[in-house]
Amino acid sequence: MIAKIEDLKNKAVEIRKRMLEMCIKAETGHVTSSLSCIDLLVVLYYSGHMHHDPRNPEWSERDRFILSKGQASPALYTILADCGYFSEKDLDSFAQPGGKFGVHLQDSVPGIEITSGSLGQGFGTAAGMALGAKMDRDLHLVFTLLGDGECYEGSIWETAMFAAHNRLNNLIAIVDRNYLCVTDFTENLIELEPMKSKWESFGWDVTWINGHSMEEFMTALNSVRSRRSSRPLAIIADTVKGEGVESLCYNPLWHGIAPKGAAAIRAMSEFERRFCGYE
Amino acid sequence: MNNMNSTTQRDAFWDTLYEMAHEDKSIVVVTADMGAPALDKFRKDYPSQFVNVGIAEQNGILVAAGLALTGKKVFAYAIAPFITLRCLEQIRVNDAIMKIPINIVGVGAGFGYQDSGPTHHIIEDIAVIRSMPNVQIQSVSDSVMAAAMPKLCCQLSTTRYIRLDRLILPALYDEGADFSNGFAVLKEGSVYVVATGSMVHVALEVSGRLEKENFRLGVIDAYQIPLSLNLTDILKTTKRVITLEEHFLPGGLGSAVCELLQDQEVNIPVKRIGITHQKQYCYDYGGRDAIRKYYDIDPDSVFLKIKEYLA
Repeated sequence: MIAKIEDLKNKAVEIRKRMLEMCIKAETGHVTSSLSCIDLLVVLYYSGHMHHDPRNPEWSERDRFILSKGQASPALYTILADCGYFSEKDLDSFAQPGGKFGVHLQDSVPGIEITSGSLGQGFGTAAGMALGAKMDRDLHLVFTLLGDGECYEGSIWETAMFAAHNRLNNLIAIVDRNYLCVTDFTENLIELEPMKSKWESFGWDVTWINGHSMEEFMTALNSVRSRRSSRPLAIIADTVKGEGVESLCYNPLWHGIAPKGAAAIRAMSEFERRFCGYE
Repeated sequence: MNNMNSTTQRDAFWDTLYEMAHEDKSIVVVTADMGAPALDKFRKDYPSQFVNVGIAEQNGILVAAGLALTGKKVFAYAIAPFITLRCLEQIRVNDAIMKIPINIVGVGAGFGYQDSGPTHHIIEDIAVIRSMPNVQIQSVSDSVMAAAMPKLCCQLSTTRYIRLDRLILPALYDEGADFSNGFAVLKEGSVYVVATGSMVHVALEVSGRLEKENFRLGVIDAYQIPLSLNLTDILKTTKRVITLEEHFLPGGLGSAVCELLQDQEVNIPVKRIGITHQKQYCYDYGGRDAIRKYYDIDPDSVFLKIKEYLA
């Protein structure tokens, strides 16, 4: 567990760098989708707000984390390796022959609860797990991270209705609101706004934060175990797809790929300049 | 034979599960707003083991998978086309890929929904579901078998799709019959017709008529798919095989029988009787009999086809 916010921020820099190196080496992976949620994942995995134990991935009292936007697997794999769920050497064989994991999330990896990649599904499975925990009077929470583009899937709203109706206040959905989808910005594609009132109208408590502000995310998580509300909680986190590497931001063409050649060199250079203060 | 002659398959199924749920609190029913008289009792007496997700089958399968991950024995229930095809990808990811074991209970196999039209008929499910590993089909032919299914489902740790007929069919089996074999030889013969679901009854009727003409047509109820390898041992003693299904021919039971025989290098001709793509979907009304007549799979048509084939 990391107590100081500065140390958490440093951890996020470290994870971003390792994730970038991994994907550039493998020449694959959804780099920009991973960069948009790394700050959120670092807070979940290192701040102590989400209970987990790398030495005992099957710990029955662990909070469950469901990465519904399974394309951000490079971010999560990097964090799990860093936490000690498996060897960091496994990152070197990401999406390579003999590797233990690839582009989308795979349930066989220690620390991973489900396979995901088909959007809209992890959220529903998370709701089922939250209901199961309620039935068994288990106190653990179920966290799930959704992409905003994932919210185009109809089953997301089937689940949203279901979770609110069943008072699943042990379910926390974090929406990685990076405003970009595969070919365009979401508001050009099919408007997702007003996102906050959409979730509210489905019966959820909603907090809207800057997803790159660890302070804001931790504030949102502070009362997550002592909420008096019976509603599930949605945290809409405004993010930038590609955060940390300027040339990868604000351009849908970077969806689903890793920079190669000159673009990769430029990406690493921009990253170093932004976070490490040298070129 | 028994009161299963007057009980629907779904009531027989839910009655057994009701008894089991009293002892086993890990049993949970997830329904997509689909009922049954026996299920009303379940909802009333075991509300904490009953979840209605509304008409939302995709979420239903996902919630079922999530519950199964917390150790529940889940039975997800809806009209057959909707609990298979509407949420096929959810089944593929959660049950076939991740191998999360749930029980998918679909009612209305074939033309069971009769005058409701082709949206409510299901004549593709065997082909579609059997294309995936880790999901086993139970194609139920009577209410005795339906009543035995919940226990069988709870014994195995793989996903099952229980394909129930909507209409009451006469009992073929004695209560307490064992359904672990995967198929049953209901009548021995020198040539066999392998049928599934409600068409087993048509096969028996046709066999009875042929017997009057001094031909003994054997009848096999193939109630489990993938087919048991042991089925080959019986079929290879004969010179030809007939298959019968209320299902499109591509990918259905007949295809499965051909694959079984060919893969074991048993070269016996197979005559498939079922629904051809040429006849497409059907808006004929007047009940299941009328629809079967349209597709030439009613007892009279099947009798003539088999007689002609055997001549």
